[in-house]
Amino acid sequence: MTIRGEASGDRPSAVGDDLAPLLSRTVGRDAAAFSTLYKRTNAKLYGVVFRILTKSDVAADVLQEAYVRIWDKAGEFDPRKGSALAWMATIARNRALDEVRRVRPASLEDQPEGFEPAAEEIDPLAARERSEGLARLIECLKGLDEEKRAIVLLAYYRGLSREALSRRFGRPVPTIKTWLHRSLAQLRDCLAS
Amino acid sequence: MTVSPDDDFAAAEYALGTLDASERATLAARRLREPDLDQAIKAWEARLAPLAETVPEIAPPGDLFPAIEARVRGRAPEAQPTSTVVALERSVRRWRAAAIAASLVAALLVVGFAAREATRRSAPHEYVAILQKDAASPAIEVTVNLDRQELTVRPVLAQPPQGKAYELWIIDPKLGAPRSLGVFSETSRAASLSGLDPAVVQSATYAVTVEPPGGSPTGQPSGAPVFVGKLIPVP
Repeated sequence: MTIRGEASGDRPSAVGDDLAPLLSRTVGRDAAAFSTLYKRTNAKLYGVVFRILTKSDVAADVLQEAYVRIWDKAGEFDPRKGSALAWMATIARNRALDEVRRVRPASLEDQPEGFEPAAEEIDPLAARERSEGLARLIECLKGLDEEKRAIVLLAYYRGLSREALSRRFGRPVPTIKTWLHRSLAQLRDCLAS
Repeated sequence: MTVSPDDDFAAAEYALGTLDASERATLAARRLREPDLDQAIKAWEARLAPLAETVPEIAPPGDLFPAIEARVRGRAPEAQPTSTVVALERSVRRWRAAAIAASLVAALLVVGFAAREATRRSAPHEYVAILQKDAASPAIEVTVNLDRQELTVRPVLAQPPQGKAYELWIIDPKLGAPRSLGVFSETSRAASLSGLDPAVVQSATYAVTVEPPGGSPTGQPSGAPVFVGKLIPVP
């Protein structure tokens, strides 16, 4: 995997794909490899689930479940389909989404606690360190109107439902749905080109 | 890709996370039985996954690894309990065979009821669902008899964690929030479906969560389902 940008320092980056061998050793029930994998990735995965769950006790539970699942499913990781980190983050994010939808759908979305939403939004277009896959996705995201891009990104980073996006952006739910479908179709076609 | 455009959008929204609780549960159940849909969801997850690189790291509260290690220790690698699935498939086949045999006998003995039998076959009154996390895990078998408005839930090699119970939920957009069908543990248990629209009972998603012994204190699932599935008719 190529790392672009000026910030590819000597700190072992979670973006680097030396995580893949740790995952394959985890398939062989190598507890030391799994422990290293945890050390290298827990802050990243916690960042992913905490942004969605916004409550540290819930996020800590979900993170534990995510790693149990990573242990169970390590054999399903396919390096041809993306990086090890992306695969692990997808598992963690899915667990967080299950939790945020099924437990207290309204309260978790409406009352983020723990940080200032406005100050914390992530702008991937400003990311200095980019894998090849991220660089392509960013190019495609640039093709979306600013508001539509913001909706997709807020959905991804915060796990907001259509209803929550509708409240946040002051647009009717059907409009959000139509925009999401158009934006996602545009991203799919752009990534396929 | 062989899914319809609508299903591809549903897969995209599932991966992005914008579906509401019941849409998400429905899709989670469907992907277990529809490999094309499952592939579509995975393709969307892969498209969006690079964004995870841009999420700033946050240190979790305390060292969670000992708890994780304790949970995975001694866990066998997945994939070997396929015998469960085979047993379940056999059980579903047995159900079907029994139901077919019963209706044949009825048709032979009571020729005058042939017309009624035909209606029975076109609108089956018995349904079965195998609730599973994935194809190789232990499972929960749910059977529904619409005539008696009764549901029976039976764990197959599944056992709740010590000091916990399973709670069964029926999930459908028409019901709004998930509705509890009761608490159970290792043994099978019956529950009444009276008051529920038969159409909803047939189309709903069934899910099982791990709860305190008396069931969820809030009346809503207190965690993600550990088993999920939908009913299929027993002909």
